[in-house]
Amino acid sequence: MRKHYLGAFLLSTSLVCLAAESTPKSTSAAVAFAKSVRPFLAKNCYGCHNARLQSGKLDLEAYKTAPSMTQESDRWEDVLQKLRTGEMPPKGIPRPAEAESKLVAGWIEKELRRAELLAKPDPGRVTARRLNRSEYNNTIRDLLGITLRPADNFPQDDSGYGFDNIGDVLSLSPVLMEKYLTAGEKAARYAVFGPEPMKPAMVRYQPPFRRKADGTGGTTYKGPQSYTITDYDFTGLTMPSAVHFTHRFPVDAEYLFRCTPAGQRPGGSEPIDLGVWIDGKMVGSKQVDPLSGDGGVADISGQTREVRVRVPAGEHWVAVTLLRQFDGMPAEYGGLNPSKRAPAVRTFTPPPGATPDQIARFEARRAAGLNQRLNIHNIRIDNAEIGGPYDQLQGPSAESLKKIYVCGHLDGRHLAGCDRKIVTSLARRAFRRPVTPQETDRLTGLVAMVQKEGDSFEKGIAVAISAMLVSPQFLFRIEPETAAAGDAPRRIGQYELASRLSYFLWSSMPDEELLRCAERGVLRQPAVLAAQVRRMLKDPKSRALIEEFGGQWLQTRALESVNPDRDRFPDFEDYLRMSMRRETEMFFESIVREDRSILDFLDGKYTFLNERLAQLYGIPGVTGPEFRRVDLSGGERGGVLTQASVLTVSSYATRTSPVLRGKWILENLLNAPPPAPPPNVPILDEEAVGTSASLREQMEKHRADAICASCHARMDPLGFGLENFDGIGAWRSQDGKFSIDASGTLPNGKSFRTPNELKGILRADGPAFAECLTDKLLTYALGRGLERYDKPTVKSIARRVAANDYRFSKLILEIVNSLPFQMRKGDRGKT
Amino acid sequence: MIITRKHLPRRTFLRGLGTAIALPMLDAMSPALAAPARTAGKAPTRLAFTYIPQGAIMEHWTPTGTGAGFEFTRILKSLEPFRDQTLVLSGLADHNGNALGDGGGDHARAGASFLTGVHPKKTSGSDIQAGISADQIAARAIGSKTRFPSIELGLEDMRTVGNCDSGYSCAYTNSISWRGPSSPMPPENNPRQVFERLFGAEDLSLDPAERGRVAKYRKSILDMVREDTRKITNTLGSSDRRKMDEYLYAVREIEKRIESAEKDEQQVVPGIEKPAGIPVTFGEYAKLMFDLQVIAFQADLTRVTTMMLGREGSIRTYGEIGIPDPHHPLSHHRNNAEWMEKLARINTYHVENFAYFVNKLNTTQDGDGTLLDHSMLVYGSGIADSNRHTHEDLPMLLLGRGDGSLKPGRHIVYPKDTPVTNLFLTLLDRMGVQPESIGDSTGKIEHLTEI
Repeated sequence: MRKHYLGAFLLSTSLVCLAAESTPKSTSAAVAFAKSVRPFLAKNCYGCHNARLQSGKLDLEAYKTAPSMTQESDRWEDVLQKLRTGEMPPKGIPRPAEAESKLVAGWIEKELRRAELLAKPDPGRVTARRLNRSEYNNTIRDLLGITLRPADNFPQDDSGYGFDNIGDVLSLSPVLMEKYLTAGEKAARYAVFGPEPMKPAMVRYQPPFRRKADGTGGTTYKGPQSYTITDYDFTGLTMPSAVHFTHRFPVDAEYLFRCTPAGQRPGGSEPIDLGVWIDGKMVGSKQVDPLSGDGGVADISGQTREVRVRVPAGEHWVAVTLLRQFDGMPAEYGGLNPSKRAPAVRTFTPPPGATPDQIARFEARRAAGLNQRLNIHNIRIDNAEIGGPYDQLQGPSAESLKKIYVCGHLDGRHLAGCDRKIVTSLARRAFRRPVTPQETDRLTGLVAMVQKEGDSFEKGIAVAISAMLVSPQFLFRIEPETAAAGDAPRRIGQYELASRLSYFLWSSMPDEELLRCAERGVLRQPAVLAAQVRRMLKDPKSRALIEEFGGQWLQTRALESVNPDRDRFPDFEDYLRMSMRRETEMFFESIVREDRSILDFLDGKYTFLNERLAQLYGIPGVTGPEFRRVDLSGGERGGVLTQASVLTVSSYATRTSPVLRGKWILENLLNAPPPAPPPNVPILDEEAVGTSASLREQMEKHRADAICASCHARMDPLGFGLENFDGIGAWRSQDGKFSIDASGTLPNGKSFRTPNELKGILRADGPAFAECLTDKLLTYALGRGLERYDKPTVKSIARRVAANDYRFSKLILEIVNSLPFQMRKGDRGKT
Repeated sequence: MIITRKHLPRRTFLRGLGTAIALPMLDAMSPALAAPARTAGKAPTRLAFTYIPQGAIMEHWTPTGTGAGFEFTRILKSLEPFRDQTLVLSGLADHNGNALGDGGGDHARAGASFLTGVHPKKTSGSDIQAGISADQIAARAIGSKTRFPSIELGLEDMRTVGNCDSGYSCAYTNSISWRGPSSPMPPENNPRQVFERLFGAEDLSLDPAERGRVAKYRKSILDMVREDTRKITNTLGSSDRRKMDEYLYAVREIEKRIESAEKDEQQVVPGIEKPAGIPVTFGEYAKLMFDLQVIAFQADLTRVTTMMLGREGSIRTYGEIGIPDPHHPLSHHRNNAEWMEKLARINTYHVENFAYFVNKLNTTQDGDGTLLDHSMLVYGSGIADSNRHTHEDLPMLLLGRGDGSLKPGRHIVYPKDTPVTNLFLTLLDRMGVQPESIGDSTGKIEHLTEI
C-alpha cells in the first residue's frame, strides 16, 4: 500500500517535470522518456504489452529509448490514438488519471511531430494513371463534343483505398485494350460523321414490386397517411401508382413511350390521363377512356397508350404517372370534380335457355357486384416501354465541327495544310501538352494513307482521331522523369499541373484556358492558381467531383445494388432510391457551390427533399416532385449521417446494424477504420431481434468479451446513436416491442442520448474530421494511397482549413498547393 | 428495373427503318452454321469451367455409393439423362481458401484460389496477388490456335468498390480467371458485348474490301502507338514503365488476334440474333450465356471458357423459383431447416441451368461426335459448406469425354485433402498442356481414365 502510494507520488512529480518542458530537445526528450513516460507505460501498459504476452502483437517493453520510438512512428501513432480515445487500457484494468494520460500523450505527439519535421519532405510519386470509365467518357465529351459514352461498356475499374482512380491499381487487360480500340473508332466516327444509325430496340421497365396502397391513402408501411382522395399529388409522381426509372438514351432522337395502365375506375367516370415525365417535366400525355364494362366498372388494364417525344442523349429520370387519378369519379365516391356522365348501365341479356331461377341468380349476383365499392386505390401504371431511337439526327453536331475543324472550313473545303492544323490542335488537346512536329507528321501520315486507299479526307481525320484515342499519351496521365537521376523531388510541369487540376475537379481534360495558362507558364503562380481553382469549382463540370468523389466517399454508389427486404420495408421502391441519392448529391453540391464549412457534412441543419422523401422522413409541408431546400432545425436530422442514403447503405436488407453504421462513421468521418473481424464469429440470431431481445441487448455480447470490446467499444455506441433510423432511414421509436435507446458512451468517456448529441460530439472534434476529409480528398486528387510521409501534409492542411472556418474552397486550394500535389519524387534508378 | 430480352415484334423492326434487315432466326442454333472446314484429324478438346458461389448443401449433393450406378441426388437430378457423361468427384479440396492465419475472407479466398491454387494476398489496395489460373495456363499454351485464347463470362455486375470481403479487394471476388498473379481477367457479363466480341461489332454486311481497309487502318494505328510507347518509355520511371509493359502486352495480343482473323477467311454466321441486353430472369440470362459458349466452341472461336454463375458473396435473389431472399445471407443458414431448403433449391436451379448447357453440347455435332464428347466441363465451387466456410470435399462435377480418354459415368471419392488443382493438372494434360504444377497441385489424380 505504502509502496504504491510512493510510486504514484514519484510518477506524478516526474510528470510535472514533463509538463514543464517547453522546447523539446533530444537530450531532454531522452530524459523525459526515461523518467516519466516509461514508468507510466510500465504501470499501465506492460501488464499485457510485454515481451512475453505481446498482446495485440505489441511489445512496449522493447522500446527503451526515445529514438527507438520515433523509428516506428506508425505503431506509436496507434498507441497515441488509443491513449487519446481512452480505448486503452481496456475496461476492467485500472485506468490512469486523465491528467497523466494527457501529458504522456502530449509528449508522444510532440516527439512524433518533431521526428516528422526532421525527416526530409517527401512528395511521393504516383504511377501513370489510366483514365477510368467516367474520366474516359468525360474526356471524349470535352475533346470531341459528342454525347457518346463508350466507357459504359468497359469492364469495371479496379479500386483501391476507396476510390477507382488509383494509378497503381488500374490495370489494362487485352479485353480492355480491344474495347479501347473499338471505342476510339466509334467515337471518331461519331464526331466526324455523326452518330451511326441505330436499330430501334425496345426496353421494358416494370417495377418488381410497388408500395401497397391500402384503402386509407397511407401505405402498409407505418408512415403517416400520405394522401386523401381530395388532397393528393395531382401530378401522380409521388403516388404509389407511378412508375419511375432512369434510362440511358443513346442518341438525340425521337423515342416512343408505350405506357400500360392497370386497375379499375368506377363505371361512369370521366376519362383519365396518363403523363410521361422526363427529368421532372411532363413531355406528353394521353387519355384513357375505356367503355364501362358490365358490373359498373371501367377497367383501364391493358389500355396501352403511346407518346412520341424527342429526347436528348444521356441518362434521364423517366416517370409515367396517372394525372389527377381520383378526379372525375361518380359523385358518390366523394372525389373532386365529380363525373357528369351518366353511369353506364348495360342491359342484361340472359343466356338463351336460362331458367327463371338461373336468371334470378344472375341478376342477384350482378346487383351485388354493382353495389360493391370498388377499390379505387388499385389504379396504377403497370409498365412502360421505351422504343427507339427513331428519326435520329444525322451528321456531326455543331459542337464537334467546331472542335475538330479549327482550320475554319466547316463546309469541308479544306486547303493544303488544313490536315496539319487540325491534327496538331486535336493532338495537343488529346495528349494534354504541345506535340512535336514528328508526332504531327505521323498523324498526318495516317491521314494521307487513308486518302491513298480511296477514302475521304474526313475519313482520314477520323482514323487519326482513333489513333490518338488509343495512344498511351491519351489513355494515361504520364509524368515523365527529368534528366536528373535518383529520387530527388522535383516540381511537376505546367501541363502536368493542368491535368492534375482538371481531373481532380472535373474528372476530365484541361480546357483551353487551363492549357493556355500552362503554355504561358503562369499556372503555378498563387494568384493564377487560386483564380483557376475558383473558376473550376464554379463550372458545372465540377459536378464530377460530387458524383465521383462524393459517391465513393459516402458510398452512395452502393445504393444502386441495395435490396431492402420487401416485407419489412414495403415502402422502398425505385423512386425512393433515386430520391435518396439525389438528396445527398444536392447536399454535397450545396457545400461546394455555397463554399460552406465542411463541418456541415456532420450536422448541417438543412437538406433537399421532394415530396416522396419528405413522406419517408415524416416532414410535413413538402409537396410536389421538385427538390427544394428544407430547413431541419429543431429536429434530429441534419448532415449526412441522418440522410436516408447513408442510413440505407449501412444497413442490412432486413434490419439496421449498429456495427455497420459505427464502422461507416469510423471509416468515412474519422479515418480510423477498425481492423477485420476475427474468424469464427458466431452470427446474430436474427429471429430474436425485436421479439425476444432488442438488438442492443443482443450486441452486449460484444462488450462482454474484452477482445471483442477492444474494437466494438468504439463501433457499437456510434451505431446505437443512430438506431432511431430504421434500415431505410425512417424515424422510429420502437423496434418490434422494444423502445429504442439511442444513448451511448464512447471509450473516451463522452456520452450522448440522441442523434443530435452524437453529432455534436463529432463536430466538437472538427480537426479530426478535417483530417479525415483531407486524407480522402488528397488520395482522390493524387491517385495514390497516402503514406507515412504524407501525414505532415494532411495535418497542416487540416490545421489551415480549421483556421479558415473550415471552408470547402480552402480545403481544395490547400490540397492543390500542397507538396505532393505540386511535386513528385523522382523515379530514376541509380544508373 | 427489369429489362426484358424482347423478341422484337415485326412492327417495331420494320417501322422507322429504311433498310431491310434479315429477320432474326428465332431458333437458337441453326445447323446451317458455317462449320469451319477443319483439316482431317481429331476434333479439338474444349475446356469449360462453370463456377457456383457459396458452395452447396452437401447432404443433397454427394451421392451415396461410389463407382458406376450411383444414385443421382436431388441437386444433381437434372443431369441424370447424361449419366454416361458425368463424373461426380468428391473429396477434392481447395486448401488455400482457408485462412492460414489471415482471419476472415473465405469468400474472396475461395474465388481467387479455386483455379489458381494460390493463397491470395490479403489486401484491399493495389497490391493484389494471386497466381495464374488453370484456364489461362491452357489459353497461353493453345490459345494461338483459335481467334480468342479464352473467354471469361459472368452473370453479375455489382459496382462495389474497394473492400469486398473482410479486407480483400473486390478484384478477388470479381473474377476466377487470372492471367498472372496481379492480373485478373474481368468477366464479360453483357451478352450483347460477348456477341459483339465474338462476331464483331461491325456490320457483317460491309463488303470484304471495306473490311480489309478497316483492318489495315487498325494495324497502322497499333503500329503507331507501339512506336509512341517505345519512345516515351525511355523517359519513364520504373513503375510507369511497368504500366507501359502492360499496355504493350495488350496491344500485342490484339495484333495477334487481327493477324489470326485475317488468316481465317471463312465467315462465321452466329445463328442467333444479337442479344438486346441482359435478360430478366436468371434462367434466361444463364441460358443465353451458355448458348454463346456453345457457339464459340462450335465455330472454334475459342477452346477455353470460364463462366461464373455468380461471384462469391453474391446477393442475387431467385424470384422466378420463389426465393426472394438474397443468396449470401441465406447460405449462412446456421442449420435453419427452412433456409437450407431454400439453398438446396438454388443449388438445384443452378445445376438445371448447367444441364441446359450440357444438353446443348450433347446435341451439337462436332466432327465424328458431339461437342460434349470432345469437351471437359468442370462445375464446382471453392467452398463446400457455405455456412461454415469449409474448403474441403468441394462440390465438383466433370462432364464430357475430353480427348476421348476420360471414362465418365461414376462417382469417385478421392482421399481427403486431394488438391482440386490436381484435377485441373490432369485435365490440362488431356489437352496436351503440361505445366509443372498449378499452384498447390501435387500431381495428377487417378481414376479419371480407367474404371
